[in-house]
Amino acid sequence: MKRATICFIVLFSAFVVFPSLSISAEKPIVIGAPLSTAFLYGWDAERGIKLAVDEINTAGGVRVGNTKRPFKVEVIDTRDLEPGVPVSDALLALEKLILDKKADFIIGGPIRSEAALAAMDLLSKYKKLSILTTGALTPLYHKKVEGNYNKYKYCFRNSSHSGVMMVEFMTLLEDLRKAHKFDKAYIMVQDVEHARKGGEFMKKALTEKGWTVIDMKVYPTGTADYSVGLHDSGKKGAQILFLWMDMPESAILLKQWSDMKSKALPVGFVNAAEQPGFWKATGGKGEYLIVNLVNGGNAPAKITPWTMKFVDAYNKKWGLEPEGYGTSSSYMAVYQLKDAIEKAKSVDTDAVITALENVDIMGVYGRMRFDKKSHQIISSMDPKEGAVTGIIQWQKGKRVQVFPASVAEGKILLPPWMK
Amino acid sequence: MEIIIYGIINSIILSLMSLGFALVYSISRLPNFAHGALYITAGYIVWLLVNKAGLPYLPSILLGLGATGLIGALMYRFIIIRIRGMEISEIIGTYAIGLAIIEGLRWGGLRGMTYTLPVFVQGSMSIGGVTVDYHRLIIVGAGVLTFALLFLFTRYNRIGLALRGIAQDERAAMMLGIDSDMTAIISLAIGSGLAGLAAVLLLPLGNIVVEQGYNVLIFAVAVCIIGGLGSWTGTIVAAFIIGFAQILTETFISSHFVMVVALLAIIVTLLIKPSGIFGKQKELEERV
Repeated sequence: MKRATICFIVLFSAFVVFPSLSISAEKPIVIGAPLSTAFLYGWDAERGIKLAVDEINTAGGVRVGNTKRPFKVEVIDTRDLEPGVPVSDALLALEKLILDKKADFIIGGPIRSEAALAAMDLLSKYKKLSILTTGALTPLYHKKVEGNYNKYKYCFRNSSHSGVMMVEFMTLLEDLRKAHKFDKAYIMVQDVEHARKGGEFMKKALTEKGWTVIDMKVYPTGTADYSVGLHDSGKKGAQILFLWMDMPESAILLKQWSDMKSKALPVGFVNAAEQPGFWKATGGKGEYLIVNLVNGGNAPAKITPWTMKFVDAYNKKWGLEPEGYGTSSSYMAVYQLKDAIEKAKSVDTDAVITALENVDIMGVYGRMRFDKKSHQIISSMDPKEGAVTGIIQWQKGKRVQVFPASVAEGKILLPPWMK
Repeated sequence: MEIIIYGIINSIILSLMSLGFALVYSISRLPNFAHGALYITAGYIVWLLVNKAGLPYLPSILLGLGATGLIGALMYRFIIIRIRGMEISEIIGTYAIGLAIIEGLRWGGLRGMTYTLPVFVQGSMSIGGVTVDYHRLIIVGAGVLTFALLFLFTRYNRIGLALRGIAQDERAAMMLGIDSDMTAIISLAIGSGLAGLAAVLLLPLGNIVVEQGYNVLIFAVAVCIIGGLGSWTGTIVAAFIIGFAQILTETFISSHFVMVVALLAIIVTLLIKPSGIFGKQKELEERV
């Protein structure tokens, strides 16, 4: 009798202390995460995925029919953001996740556009559902799905893309024109495909809207001096410095911009300026820079009730705010997948695809639902209608959401030397 | 005016990046392909001392330079000495050490773009209507001072004279009692220290990322090939040629071709004068 009582107490304590034990007997659903983990877009995605998985598992797991199954994450380093690493390496890593680690679903990358595009055939071959959450900004991704749905129906993307970002930038610049009578822009982009295309698009769009684009400078990766361009922009009266760069040397550009007290407000997609540590790294010289973090929730904001809940949970688990592009989308992808599996009542790929096409949840960065033909997240300027961007301005060491107006927490400030 | 000012700054930056590589090669005929890795290592050590150990900036810099010099010396004493004289092995060996250091730093946590060193003096001034920040002016001053000190060291100091002796004729110097391995250790230590000096001067302009190790190596090799491997004068002249060529290219042609300038200059040099502008090595064969 005494032994039975002790056994009961031990078992009861185990269930109280470790509630997840109740689901641990079920086979986990394996999420494969192919990410370039040495880079921001990789490690922040990994942290986002792991946070969501922890939350879901702690809450009991995923209901698949009558059982509850936990998620398990298998991360593999694709190294696709490292210079000189061929796309084939990223594909091999993805294949290893599918064949070796027996991933049921893929969330995350590959991150580089060309690797993500090449991976689509592999996902189709193995019939693996994937939610792309970070890195690849090319509209080609969802256009490929739309162009050949039966082959590429396995590919979803819950993150924004450059086509949407351009519209956002144009709206923001037009707002600035109305507010401050700006009409001269100077474009500086990195010599990589996405940045060149972004710069060319902006040049065309700004010109069509009546702006004067003074020049577009294309800088090779590794450029360590921007004095010529900055002086040129100053001499010719530029009021906007449109930037599109993901190289670390863009920090040099911003420091030079501040030292020279350039009279053009920097706006753009600048990878080096996304992380919370950017402020300290530039000694505050990044103040006033406006950066597009692609999706809302990658910095503190009040887009939906879930946004700050996510920011706080991330801060608690990892000891810092969400860092940049790829964080909120990777986190949300796990919840979207959970919702789809529960709706499908199965982990069968085709059933989950159909369910995911119908998932409609109010997430961290607005209403989250996929376009049924292209599997691209539906974007909007209104969080009630679709996924909202995260355009922030560095103000006194903080990343303040300044666009779109519906979720802005502060106004765009100009440096004192521009007034 | 900005072409002259930023041309000079750019040239001094390039020569600082290359000086350590040129010094080691000129003395020991050793192509130190770990040069870029040592550059990043120095920056990271100083960052750790300032941000993790809480030391003041100046002592951290001195300790960082000392540590980088020591790494260079140990690198020779325990690894390179075994492959000394085998040119291909030296290249492969030093490159492998460089790779191991760079990837080791990445693996050890040097990731992202938020590692940086503070500038020595905040603010900027106008020179002839061109705004220049104080830190770049300090780089110019520090660069000129370094060249002067190295010049004096190799002409008026016993160790410096021994280094020059080995550089001019290793066998004759050895006959006079100069230890070839010891001078190689000293040259590696000084060369690595110079890589470290370049790092503490240049990294405050941007941030500490491991990929810069490769860029610094490429520029150092380019400058040394164009100037002539083994020639310090050539190194400085080549740095000025590339430095001004880059600024002129950006101003009058396109920023797109700035990085190509150095590589194009290598090709032109190899076609016209393979030993480089001031290079002595293989000059005789070229004439024949």
